Amino acid sequence: MTTSSFAASATDGSAPALAPRIEDCTAGPGRLLALQTPVDDIVSWRGSFLAYPDLAAGHGPLQELTVSLLDKGTEHRDRFELAQVLEDCGATLNLSSDGLYIDVSGRALAEDLPRVMDVLAEMLRAPAFEQEEFEKARAQAVAQVQRRMEKTGAQASSALTRRLFAPGHPNYDEAPETVIEQLQQIRLDDVRAYHEAHFGATEWTLAVVGDLDHEAVASVVADSFEGWTAHEAAPTHDTDGRTDVEPGRSVLPMPGKSNVDVRLGHTIPIQRDHDDHPALYVGNYILGGNFAARLMNTVRDEKGLTYHIGSGLSGITTRYQGYWKVRVTLSHDTLEEGIDATTAVIRAFVEEGATEEELADKKTTIPGSYTVGLATTQSLAQSMLTNAERGFEMDYLDTFPEEIRALTLEEVNAAVRRYFRPDALHEALAGVRPETMEV
Amino acid sequence: MNQPTPEVATPTDIPDAFEFEETSGDIECYRLTDNGLRVLLLPQDGAPVATSMVTYHVGSRNERTGHTGATHMLEHLMFKGTERYHKRTGTSIFETLQRVGAKVNASTWLDRTNYYEMLPTEHLPLALDIEADRMRGALLDPEDVESERTVILNERDRNQNQPVSRLFDEVWAAAFTAHPYHHPTIGWKSDIETITADGLREYYDTFYWPNNATVSIVGHFDRHDVLQEVADQFGVHEAASHEIPQVTTDEPEQTGQRRVRVKQDGQLGAVLMSYKSPPATDPDSDALDVLARILASGKGSRLFQRCTDQGLTSDVFGMNFRLRDPGLFSVFGYLAPEVDHETVEAAIADEIDKIRTDGVTQEELHRARSQLRAQIAFDRDGPMKVAAQLNEAIAAGDWKLYTQYLDRLADVTADDVQRVAQTYFTDDTSTVGWYVPTSG
Repeated sequence: MTTSSFAASATDGSAPALAPRIEDCTAGPGRLLALQTPVDDIVSWRGSFLAYPDLAAGHGPLQELTVSLLDKGTEHRDRFELAQVLEDCGATLNLSSDGLYIDVSGRALAEDLPRVMDVLAEMLRAPAFEQEEFEKARAQAVAQVQRRMEKTGAQASSALTRRLFAPGHPNYDEAPETVIEQLQQIRLDDVRAYHEAHFGATEWTLAVVGDLDHEAVASVVADSFEGWTAHEAAPTHDTDGRTDVEPGRSVLPMPGKSNVDVRLGHTIPIQRDHDDHPALYVGNYILGGNFAARLMNTVRDEKGLTYHIGSGLSGITTRYQGYWKVRVTLSHDTLEEGIDATTAVIRAFVEEGATEEELADKKTTIPGSYTVGLATTQSLAQSMLTNAERGFEMDYLDTFPEEIRALTLEEVNAAVRRYFRPDALHEALAGVRPETMEV
Repeated sequence: MNQPTPEVATPTDIPDAFEFEETSGDIECYRLTDNGLRVLLLPQDGAPVATSMVTYHVGSRNERTGHTGATHMLEHLMFKGTERYHKRTGTSIFETLQRVGAKVNASTWLDRTNYYEMLPTEHLPLALDIEADRMRGALLDPEDVESERTVILNERDRNQNQPVSRLFDEVWAAAFTAHPYHHPTIGWKSDIETITADGLREYYDTFYWPNNATVSIVGHFDRHDVLQEVADQFGVHEAASHEIPQVTTDEPEQTGQRRVRVKQDGQLGAVLMSYKSPPATDPDSDALDVLARILASGKGSRLFQRCTDQGLTSDVFGMNFRLRDPGLFSVFGYLAPEVDHETVEAAIADEIDKIRTDGVTQEELHRARSQLRAQIAFDRDGPMKVAAQLNEAIAAGDWKLYTQYLDRLADVTADDVQRVAQTYFTDDTSTVGWYVPTSG
């Protein structure tokens, strides 16, 4: 089978450079990144600003509740009028709380972008915060937390973060019971005060991709957000993980579950812009990054112990350190066997290291997967925004594959040995039967 | 702004192995004349990537008693290898495809099984080679069947962990007593535990043939070259020497409401109200799509305003399952804390009754159509999304449902919406399920 002649007729096989095509400018109070692509009729966007919540003081649920009220009415339009603008044109607009950031995202037919940007700006800048809507939003927030309590995966992941981080760290995920208590103590005045102090154009960045004209989008965004100013809140979050907790196991019994979700992990003491990050990223990819990785090969394919297993670097940004997480789901009767098999693969990998062949594979896999991952307007917008949030040059969107291809086996294995520590793995199990709690 | 895509002219430069059948929208349909394989091509500008997908016209609706879950289990086994692509030689299907950065997976549903790869265009021949090879060359090794059995039982357990997943299974099981939509796609546990490699082989030899499959290719590629590649790879197979078995069981008319109750540990209850609905190709199904939007899509929808906005539910959805055979239209609501099932069920029933009695407004119809029109545009954002939508149209029995959907929606009137509500939303053809959380 040959691929070269086929490829030559369709493409040279490499993605066209993105950075030169991205219009990077100031539009109103923020940064606008706009990219025109061949898609018809639609645009997608991703945006964010830094809110700097005081996480140790319980600002996490407060920030989420504040965000959930943004589409419940503004000083100019009630909740149904806002929704009608979007629903009449089939546009979507989402606002969410993401640690230090408030994120916005959405998509619309290109012709509808001006009216949707107007709604977005109005929601962010002039929410009504009415008592009745506040009560409903709080009740819905409690219901969402309760629904999360039924999910073994969410519970296990959350429990692992509490072993690795203190409440002031953005990766710390509070126990649902505590979140419900915190939500119930929040008053509408707290929401108003939080919005006043933490919402503003602080590092406000918007990435827009699709069937667009750069200048027209810049004009729309500048008009919609004109006069929005930065807030004065400053960062208070922890940047490092906990060092005061010995490796151990958290067990969350959940009656009636047929399956146990297991998370293993420990903190990683580097940030995203550290020189070792690319090598560690590739090292993890070889261990548990995809279906062809070692964990999947052994624990699923050879031993048949799980439907899904994988590992990843989580919550590592240029503002704080993150962690390494291995996830596996196991049946009750193969729980310990599955955990043992997983840790055995990890130990062997750290001791022996990756092979030249594995690294060569990933040097094709990761750049190829990267190209595939940029095939939609939504994924392009997200990549552009994430790159900007990291403080990287836009060129990095084009040079990332080369960075991966330049890695040596020595660099990858040195990073694996330096940062992956099987003896330091914490464990979190959710879904075990109550009677087996003492495992 | 981009120019509209021009009408696709009848292609002339196509390999001799193919017969051009028709064009609908931007999609070209070809037939590999020697073995009956259908090929759909949708060329797109954009990133140098493409999606290759093989849809087999076999799903859990084709399974017989005692062999439920066979379609899904076979889907798993299809990744275990052929003589040419096998783990023992370092060329497992996943490894080989993921090595070049492909996004690769498969899925099984009631009416179909699909295998897909999204990858850089230069590697498209590799994906086609693998798909053609495993169309008739899957090994289905008994040892692999045993190890995969545990994996699938684990997958089933994961589903069973979710009370809402159980609720859907039980409602479908109650709603269909004779038709095979009765059983869950993953299969009954005892069937998964006992199915044999020989049983799977028989199933594979019955359904996995080029004349029971559609190859779809979406993305950035050269038409002639990709067709030649398909001819070279898939052309080695003969058509099945037997008739592909068809499902002949019709679900008997339902003459009274059915009710089920799922009890499982959890926090918040749920209500699932389902009504028998027409096949996907029936024009009434278009009106039901519009109705699903009016009922429960967005804050302007009837059920959001009646239930979620009033604190009765924390979320509410409307779903018109468009399937090859008559299926279900469902309304699902998560109960808000301290709200009982009766209240939510009554509120949903009342809103449905209002539509039956008073119909819907032109404004609601316009909004639903606009939402669906935008959704169609969004669903063309990238080859993978297009393939996923096209896959369901193929499974429903007419791939042109995908290309003609916008026109079909334009034909739906407010009277149609009221009429389908009156026709299909009747107590006697409904099945109501409650998820009742129990405390641990």
